[in-house]
Amino acid sequence: MREQVVMVGSELPLVGVLCEPENNPAPNVAVILLNSGVIHRVGSCRLSVTLARNLCEKAGLATFRFDFSGIGDSEARRGTLTAAQAAVDEVQEVMDYLSQWKQFDRFILYGLCSGAFASYRTALSDTRVMATVQLDGYCYMTWKSHLLRYAPKLLSLTRWSQFILRKLGLRKTRKGAEVSGIEERYFEVPGFAGYPPKEEVTEGLRVLNDRKLQMLYVFFGHEYYVYQDQFQDCFRPVVFGDNLTVIHRPHATHILSEPEDRASVVDAITQWAAQLVHQPQP
Amino acid sequence: MEAFYFGPSEHYLFGVFHPRQGPSRNEAVVLCHPFGQEYMRAHKSVRRLAINLAALGYPVLRFDYRGTGDSAGDLTGVTAEDWIEDIGFAVQEVMDMAAVSKVALVGLRLGGLIAARAAAKHDCVSRLVLWDPITDGASYVNDIRAAITEAQTEGSRSRLITQDGTMHFNGFCMPRAFQDSLSTLNLTDLAPSLHVPVAQIVSHEADEFSAVRDQFADRAAFHSELAPAPHNWNYVDHVGGILWPKPVIDAIEQYFGQARA
Repeated sequence: MREQVVMVGSELPLVGVLCEPENNPAPNVAVILLNSGVIHRVGSCRLSVTLARNLCEKAGLATFRFDFSGIGDSEARRGTLTAAQAAVDEVQEVMDYLSQWKQFDRFILYGLCSGAFASYRTALSDTRVMATVQLDGYCYMTWKSHLLRYAPKLLSLTRWSQFILRKLGLRKTRKGAEVSGIEERYFEVPGFAGYPPKEEVTEGLRVLNDRKLQMLYVFFGHEYYVYQDQFQDCFRPVVFGDNLTVIHRPHATHILSEPEDRASVVDAITQWAAQLVHQPQP
Repeated sequence: MEAFYFGPSEHYLFGVFHPRQGPSRNEAVVLCHPFGQEYMRAHKSVRRLAINLAALGYPVLRFDYRGTGDSAGDLTGVTAEDWIEDIGFAVQEVMDMAAVSKVALVGLRLGGLIAARAAAKHDCVSRLVLWDPITDGASYVNDIRAAITEAQTEGSRSRLITQDGTMHFNGFCMPRAFQDSLSTLNLTDLAPSLHVPVAQIVSHEADEFSAVRDQFADRAAFHSELAPAPHNWNYVDHVGGILWPKPVIDAIEQYFGQARA
C-alpha cells in the first residue's frame, strides 16, 4: 500500500490522500470517500482512514479520501451554489482529476450521513459512478417502522407520564446548548439541508436502479431505521435486484464509536467491494 | 498552505505547512494535537490557529502523530515516547522548510504534555505554549479509565477496556503500552529541564493549571492567561460537532503577536 497527499485544483485546492495497492487488480476503479458533516476527511472515529486502508490492502482497491471546500484542510470556495450542489461539483472535479492522472474511469462513492446524500446525488449526475456505499443514507419511515417505533411507547407508563408533563409545561425538552452545555457560537454542527421529498428520492433510486448502480446501504440503530427491510419497503415501487444490499446494525450509533461495530462495518464494506470489482463482468 | 507526508518511511507523518505571510521571523511554530476524539474536535481550531500565526509572520507546521489522523498505522505498539520523537521530526521538518533556527511548540491538552517533554529534549525549541494542558499523564490515563468504568455500569459499548488492557474511549483506543509510557510523564518532573519561556493559556480555572502557575511563578519568562471559553473536548454528540473556543485561539495569537519580528 502506498499513500500520497494530493491537492486537487490549483486555486483553493481540495486536500486529499490517495491510497494505492502494491498490485492493483482493478486498475480502472477507485473508491472516493466523502466527508460527513463538518468532520474532516479522517472520518468519524478515524473510520475513513481505516476503511480506505482496508479497501486498499484487502480488496486491492485504490481509494481517495478528501475534504470538500470549507471542511478540514480545504479552503472555502465562494460561489453561488448551495453546499449540496457544490459537493456534487467537487466530487466530479475529483473524478476528472483522478481519471486524467491515474486513468480511473469507474468510481465507488462512500459516505456517512451527509456524505451518503452527496454520493447519491453525484451518482444521479454522473454515470462514471458504478456503486455507492451509503451509511445512514436517505430513508423514510414506513407504516411498519411507525408501528415498531411507537407501539412500545404507547404501552409505556413512563412515556405517557413524560408526555403529559411536557404538555403541561412541567417538563422541558432540552435542545442544542442545553444538552451539550456549550454555547452555540463555540460549537459547530453541520447545517443539514432537509430531506428531499420521498417521491423525489424514490424516482432517483428508480433511475439508479434501472442503470444497475450497485448500492450498499448500512443503517445504524437510530430510531428512524427500525427493521432490516425498511429500505425496500420504503421505496417499494422500485424493484431492486441483486444490485442492492442492505445491512442493519441496530446497536451501532450514528458516529460508529463502538469498536466492534466499526470493525464489522469496515469488514462488510470491504468484502462487498471486493466481490463487486472482482466478479466477472457480464 | 502545503499538505504532505514527512518523516521515516515506516511511520510517515501527515503534515500541513503554512508559510509565513507577514513580517519575517526567525522562529517557526509546531502545533501539537490532543488525543482521540479531542483531536477530531480540535482540528478546525488548530488549523485556524496555524493560519493566524502564519499571518503574523510565523511559518507553522501542524501534523498528525503516528497512528493518528492521516499518518501511518494505528496505535498498536506506539508509545508516548514515539509521539515525542514525532514532534522532533516535525521540528526538523519546519526548520528545513522555513530556514529558521528556532521553533516554538504549542500543545493542546495531551499535546501540551508531550510538547513539554519534546521541549526539554531539543535545544532548538525556543518556547513552549501550553493550551489547557494535561499536566500529569498518570492522572489522565486514570481519568479515562474511571470514565470507562462508570460507563460500563450503563452497558456502554463505546467505552470499554479489552482483555489486552486497551482502553476504548469515544471511538478511539489507547493500547496498554501507550498508557504505561504516558503515565511516566508529568509537568512537575519536567519543569526543571525546561529552560525556555513557557506560557500557559487556559480556557478555565482548574487545580492542575494553578499548580503549573505556582511552579513557574518565579520565572521571568512565564506567561499565564485565562481566556474563558468552552473546553469539553470529550463531549460527543451524534453528528460530530466541533468545538470552537475562539477566545483561546485569539489569546495565543496575541501572545505570539507581542514578540518582535
